[in-house]
Amino acid sequence: MRGTVPASGPADGDPYLELRGVTVKHADRTVVSGIDLALRPGEFVALLGPSGCGKSSLLHVLAGLAPVAGGALRHRGDEATDGLRGRVRVGYVFQDHRLLPWRTVGQNIEIAMKAAGVPAAEWDERIERFLGMLRVAEYRGSWPMRLSGGQRQRVSIARALAVEPDVVLMDEPFSGLDEVTGRAMRQELTRLHEVASVPTLFVTHSIREALFLADRVVILSHGPARVLKTLDVPLARPRRHEDPALARLEAETVADVLREWDLTEGPAS
Amino acid sequence: MTSVTTPAAPTAVGTRLRAAAGRWALSAAGVGGVLALWWVGGSATRYVPPIGEVAGELPHFLGQSSTWVAVGTTTQRVLWSLAVALVLGTAAAWVMRRDGFWSRVTASLTAFAIAVPSTVAALLALYLFRRDPLGVYAVVTFICFPFVATMLRQGMRELDRNIGEMSDVYGLSGTARARHVVLPQLVPYVFAATRNEYAHAWKVVVLAELFIVNSGMGYEFSQAFDHFLLTEVLLWLLVFVAILLAGEYLVFRTIERYVLSWRVL
Ligand SMILES: Nc1ncnc2c1ncn2[C@@H]1O[C@H](COP(=O)(O)OP(=O)(O)OP(=O)(O)O)[C@@H](O)[C@H]1O
Ligand SMILES: [Mg+2]
Repeated sequence: MRGTVPASGPADGDPYLELRGVTVKHADRTVVSGIDLALRPGEFVALLGPSGCGKSSLLHVLAGLAPVAGGALRHRGDEATDGLRGRVRVGYVFQDHRLLPWRTVGQNIEIAMKAAGVPAAEWDERIERFLGMLRVAEYRGSWPMRLSGGQRQRVSIARALAVEPDVVLMDEPFSGLDEVTGRAMRQELTRLHEVASVPTLFVTHSIREALFLADRVVILSHGPARVLKTLDVPLARPRRHEDPALARLEAETVADVLREWDLTEGPAS
Repeated sequence: MTSVTTPAAPTAVGTRLRAAAGRWALSAAGVGGVLALWWVGGSATRYVPPIGEVAGELPHFLGQSSTWVAVGTTTQRVLWSLAVALVLGTAAAWVMRRDGFWSRVTASLTAFAIAVPSTVAALLALYLFRRDPLGVYAVVTFICFPFVATMLRQGMRELDRNIGEMSDVYGLSGTARARHVVLPQLVPYVFAATRNEYAHAWKVVVLAELFIVNSGMGYEFSQAFDHFLLTEVLLWLLVFVAILLAGEYLVFRTIERYVLSWRVL
């Protein structure tokens, strides 16, 4: 569709993570079929697909929580088909928060940092910083069950970021938030990504969110997911939610995606 | 009706207080009911000693050191047997946590142990250990451990898979995983097993002492009964009930409130 690559994101050398014809199955049922995708160092890629198309299943496989049913994964050029877990430090925001309910918010983050080998001297500052960034600092001493769904999800984002991840996988982290909070969070996330440049794979079914955040948007078909098209987002950074160019791009993409997502049984592009 | 909105926090506290008061009222009503029955029974029959007579004997009974020796002996038997039952039960549960040969073997042994009546176990112990107090420990442990094993096996099989995946991704392993992920999920099961088997152990120990040894509360019970000292039988019964209730209300509920405080509403 568009060819303008943003200045950021070095495209030379081996991609950070490469998927070659990755297929995922639940028992005998194929839920992701033959995905080709490259996540370059420092790049922010959004995976955009309709509900149930297999996005969460794909992230599970990438993390190494489920086996690849076909195809291969490569990490910096090396064979890594059994997933990233154990190879690099993964910050994973699951679609459900997956906090330990019997540990406080602060302890949850601390436990993850300790396992990741973050020096103990940094724990306090990191907990404060990331909880603050996600506007949940006052819940540091609370039990997770005392928080709302959106607050728990933000704590889980803070945990993923606090472990000094080498790569971040996020599964619809902002879907439970109101518009205003969601915007603030997206703003913070881009700001952080500009500083830290951790390669990030971000699953969403919000087109606007994908366009606002990502360097590249990979549009997936209905399940079993195939890549319908990859879109380099031609918007300069820092981006603004109110930018008319964003709205225009959104309208175009919506039109495009609607056509594709409606024709589920159509031939692969 | 009215448009006054009460603040959330006081309402919650109020509800909780009222609920607590309700629970205590129910417990008190239960105790009162038993006393009333006793009172009726005591005045209507000749073989149930009247409540007043038993109450009058209570201070003297509690002042005797022999009473406390018996209580101490039996308490010690209960606690040690329960501790061993918990360890054995945990080990058996560990073996049974996944399907396999040894899991099935242990499961059938456990099922068999559950089916053995306490009386039969006590008689067997009498043959095996003669009149050695070790037999009492053996009986109580044998009767309690399969229940612990069954309860904990369920806990080990119901470990949260999603939390497990999270722990895998974040590299939680070894002691950190045991401490922060596995044990907290087992605590409610360990708790339920301990509290149930505590009460169970008290019932079994009295029976075992009656058959096997000449010390402890069970023995005192039988002595009093054999000599038709019904007041004393009732005094022992009161002590027995008091110990069980104290365990439940003072020990287990307190620990539970502390340990499971994360399960907030
Ligand atoms: N544990 C499982 N066992 C069997 N099938 C599953 C399992 N988890 C998911 N599926 C199936 O796999 C397909 C993809 O599910 P997945 O959760 O990956 O979708 P998704 O794209 O993340 O959807 P959403 O946007 O709603 O989160 C669905 O059809 C679902 O029914
Ligand atoms: Mg999903």
